[in-house]
Amino acid sequence: MPTNLVINGEDRISTRGSMTPLIDVLRDEFFLTGAKVACREGICGACTVHLDGRPVVSCLVPLATVEGRDVRTVESLAAAGEPSPLQQIMEEHDVVQCGMCFPGILMVLTSFFQERPHAERDDIKAALVGNICRCTGYERLVDAAAALARRS
Amino acid sequence: MATADPSSVVMNLPRRDARDKLLGRTRYTVDRMSPRMLHAAVLRSEVASARIIRIDTTRARRMPGVRAIALAEDAPGMHGIGIADHPLFASGVIRFHGEQIAAVAADTYEQAQAAARAIEVELEPLPPVLTMADALAPGAPLVHPDWKSYEVLFEGAARGGNVAWEATVIRGDTDVAFARDDVVIVESCFRVGRQNHVSLEARAVVATYEDGRYHIETSTQVPWTVRNMTAKLLGVPASQVHVTVPPVGGAFGQKFDCTLEPYAAILARKSGQPVRLVYSRQEEMLTCLCRENADIKIRSAVTKEGEIVGREAVVLMDCGAYGGEQIFLTTMTAHTLGGNYKLGSIKLATRAIYTNTAPNGAFRACNGVYNTFALECHTDEICDAIGMDPLEFKRRNVLGDGDLGATGQVFEGDVLGPMLDRMERLRETSPSKKHLAGDRLYGRATVVGTWFVFVGPSTATINLNADGSATLITAGVELGQGTMVQALPQIVAHELGIHPDDVIVRNADTDAAGFDLGVGGGRTTVSVGAASVAAAADVRNRILTTASELLQTRPDRLVLRNGRVEIAGIEGSGTTIAKVVQRAHQVTGPVVGSGSFTNPGVPAMPGCAAGHFIDAIDIPVFNVHDCEVAVDAETGHVEVLSYKVVQDVGRALNPRAIHGQIQGGVTQGLGYALHEEHTIGEDGCIRQDSLETYRVPLALDTVPVEIDLYEGAPSIGPLGAKGAGEVPIMNPPAAVACAVARATGCRVQQTPLTPPRVLALLLGREPAVELPHIVDNWWDNVLIKPKAQ
Amino acid sequence: MPASTGERLYVATSLADAVAALADRGPAGAPLAGATWIMRAPIRREELRSSYVGIGGIAELRSVEMTDDEIHIGACVTHADLIAALAGVEGCDGLVAAAGGAANPAVRQMATVGGNLCTSDFPASDLSPALLCLDASVELRTPSGQERVPLGRLLDIRRTLEPGTLVTGVVIARKPVQTGHSRLPLRKAGDYPVAIVSMAVALGSDGLIEDIKVAVGSVEASARRWPQLEAQLLGHPLDPAKAYELAKAGVGVFAGRESVEAPGWYRVQVLPTLVRRAAQAALAARQQR
Repeated sequence: MPTNLVINGEDRISTRGSMTPLIDVLRDEFFLTGAKVACREGICGACTVHLDGRPVVSCLVPLATVEGRDVRTVESLAAAGEPSPLQQIMEEHDVVQCGMCFPGILMVLTSFFQERPHAERDDIKAALVGNICRCTGYERLVDAAAALARRS
Repeated sequence: MATADPSSVVMNLPRRDARDKLLGRTRYTVDRMSPRMLHAAVLRSEVASARIIRIDTTRARRMPGVRAIALAEDAPGMHGIGIADHPLFASGVIRFHGEQIAAVAADTYEQAQAAARAIEVELEPLPPVLTMADALAPGAPLVHPDWKSYEVLFEGAARGGNVAWEATVIRGDTDVAFARDDVVIVESCFRVGRQNHVSLEARAVVATYEDGRYHIETSTQVPWTVRNMTAKLLGVPASQVHVTVPPVGGAFGQKFDCTLEPYAAILARKSGQPVRLVYSRQEEMLTCLCRENADIKIRSAVTKEGEIVGREAVVLMDCGAYGGEQIFLTTMTAHTLGGNYKLGSIKLATRAIYTNTAPNGAFRACNGVYNTFALECHTDEICDAIGMDPLEFKRRNVLGDGDLGATGQVFEGDVLGPMLDRMERLRETSPSKKHLAGDRLYGRATVVGTWFVFVGPSTATINLNADGSATLITAGVELGQGTMVQALPQIVAHELGIHPDDVIVRNADTDAAGFDLGVGGGRTTVSVGAASVAAAADVRNRILTTASELLQTRPDRLVLRNGRVEIAGIEGSGTTIAKVVQRAHQVTGPVVGSGSFTNPGVPAMPGCAAGHFIDAIDIPVFNVHDCEVAVDAETGHVEVLSYKVVQDVGRALNPRAIHGQIQGGVTQGLGYALHEEHTIGEDGCIRQDSLETYRVPLALDTVPVEIDLYEGAPSIGPLGAKGAGEVPIMNPPAAVACAVARATGCRVQQTPLTPPRVLALLLGREPAVELPHIVDNWWDNVLIKPKAQ
Repeated sequence: MPASTGERLYVATSLADAVAALADRGPAGAPLAGATWIMRAPIRREELRSSYVGIGGIAELRSVEMTDDEIHIGACVTHADLIAALAGVEGCDGLVAAAGGAANPAVRQMATVGGNLCTSDFPASDLSPALLCLDASVELRTPSGQERVPLGRLLDIRRTLEPGTLVTGVVIARKPVQTGHSRLPLRKAGDYPVAIVSMAVALGSDGLIEDIKVAVGSVEASARRWPQLEAQLLGHPLDPAKAYELAKAGVGVFAGRESVEAPGWYRVQVLPTLVRRAAQAALAARQQR
């Protein structure tokens, strides 16, 4: 049975099986490869997307459960191609290394800052507990995020 | 003056790949898809040791979607480093749990997996050897009964039985030193586990077979190794293999070998379709080519004044079922465990031991991490024994200008000493975090470390284009470390007087670039950088020659600056580089330059080292780390309160990027020190098979590292640079272990210092590491025999 | 009707629909709520069931309702929803801490209360001990009707529930208690705790303990109460140091489970410390009001 969903504002129909992880639908069927598959166990956070506005690990979301729901991926953050303030500050602070974790981190922090725009450094770190970054050691990207929080 | 002005380097160049990585647009190997692409799955052994009686693929071939199956007969060759001991598929025997038996390509990954499971394999189990102690026991089963028949790729080492390789260093007479009546003898044993790289991008490849050649698009650090090894395994000429490398999603040494590429290559040829093979996280956990587990015993003879007159050590490295990188890495002990300190005499033995476990590999600062842990803990035990403050001991003993290294090489310049002073100033200016320990136990340690840049061959070609831009072609790879997007364009731009944004850096492609050893060991900035400088010098000479005619000025009076060729001292006198190139098109042809570089070779003392791939180190890189910890005496949790690094960088071209490397490397090192461990079950299978049980540091588990970059130490690298990315991981286990030992008063002999292990130490229920398989008489641990006197 | 789609996962639209679909599937079917455990079956090398009934979107299972007497938590309330609904509610500090410490933020958006209680192979559930010490009961819906059982009973029988049985909600009686939840992950956060102590205490006007419940999670295969310790603490002031000493003397009643993460002795060894911390948290909860 096809599944109807809205991805980054566009109506889409997926023909994959009902238990297919959402991440595979996004990547393999709709070629939205921004979200990454890195653990398939909800621990690394690289596959994080927004489901009805809330961050979820899309590797653990069965397709059928997103019928009629709103999915946003990292590809949606740069409205009209202009990087979001969060993306901009990460670039300005030169914190990107291999880059695999950033799509997930950006989705988590985008949602986190909507609720806590003036969050402190420690709260930002706690919010990132579900995102593994193996390159950066976190602190410099946390600094960048904290700088954005101070700016807003 | 026709040479470039060093002060004109563009510093802190922004990464050109950051924007797309943040937008989610970067296409790593795992993101590559193409029409008709098949998906591959690998059938792996679920026993550690067995004889293969029969493999039947009849049923699997009839499964839906199956397009090709690859088996041992498709890959007749053997590969390895030092010894060709490793077939692509288990051939006749299974040597480890997880060993590859067959590979299947099908329309979907699920179909490929189902078909792989449907392959019937009949096995006769054999008794496995799962530990190095077992492997070295008298009468132990041999992992490779035919070891004598293997092709030796690098001569000079002792081998035998389950000893895959033995590297030894003998300098001076330790027997005399240990027999002195004015010395204290201190002996220490250490054991460390395996560390998994956990690159977020798993090993991944997409292979095609077109026009009689294999095209391999892969997530690797070593495109030329993949090319040559794939050809060797498949038994085809290397010229038939073409390797390209998209952006790599983390590597840390894991991708410093050819691993899964040949499976995809065979399946692509057999099916005639593109084949994608991406290892699952579980496959990555179980067969990762980890940093090896090791057993280490060190003895030192030290005078009351703190002079180390003799040192003997045996390091056993578990290479798993096949030699792999460990063969090469036996070399490292001489320069890590044998590093840091002045030694009157020394005997070192490093042995790679075969076991029926998953093969290990290279991991950032390789065996330097645990050897530094062992050396610094041992140093603290020495200081306890002679009653000397460890910092004072280090000041007296660290290697300085003119001192001899383990293999007798002469070190240049005082570096570690002044770095210790810098650390002392950093400690003075940044207040202690002791108050954060509360009612927990508090400890602090300052440790030193020696690593080196492993240089080796690289090439570069530069096309200077008619628009004034330059295209740099190398086989370097961007793993995230930034070399390809920062240091190389900076270096080339500086040589050519153009802006780094006008330097195009081509992704690695073995059909376009010449040979390169690969990205690892901190060598890219140095070796690819030096080759690029040479290529740029070639290009510059051509521009100056043409410009000299155009401007009617001698070449040595011309300078390259801001995209222009100017007559020295007369701003605006010249013309644009683009115009000069356009002129060259008419008179001499397009402007292209090439350069190459290799290890210049530093002399060691003849006869000191046996079985070593490198007798002396070209570019030493020193580290001083300082760490404060709090230990919860009730739960065993260790919290790092502060972390400081003074790192020898030669010259910092991108301080921000180096800070990023240090913060990241220290955090990985803290993971190895505190959380990350693979252990092996009775069935020979690695027990931590997911990120739930293998715990890497998360955002709350690290601290901001306070950093002081030490510039000015001698380096042959371009602009005086050294590789900065490799070394930060080297000292955290040493720093944490020494600090925990001081906080708890317990002898630390193992990492990681997980809460259960630390609590067991505090409760006296952690058994001491004694290593009876390393015996007291050093000569009884080695295959080589003393030379007749 | 539900069974006819042939899909492995049928997403139920109402509770009645879910109950009918589960009855229809019999032993082959199972409910799927937040999916965070079931979707990891391949990593545990387990086969998926042939059929699931999705219940996570059913509105009547997703609400938290409070009256003067009790709090009713729908089975499909997520950890994040639970925190939002109960933060600051008297007696719920421990439960909120449990929900807020579990797993990681994204998983807390997905994983549900019912799923956390019903996953019998998951010993490190944070909500089980937190709800045990609140004397929670669980509402079950079976094809033959409804019943309410104490949570402890559910934990005992959850492996052998009759096919078609659905946990629809959890009910907590509102009582003037202070609660504390102390969990011990091996890192700072983000992993499953190796041991958990939850405590709910009612203190009389004389400062003496009138009622106390202590529950221990993750140490054994299933969370359970610690009645011996409760009995020793009853009638005394809540003194974390004293509670620590009593716990230390009495931990022998637990047999720690061995696993890759931690040895069994360790899980037991740290319990007194967690008891003290839970007591401190409960006292802090009292002082805040």
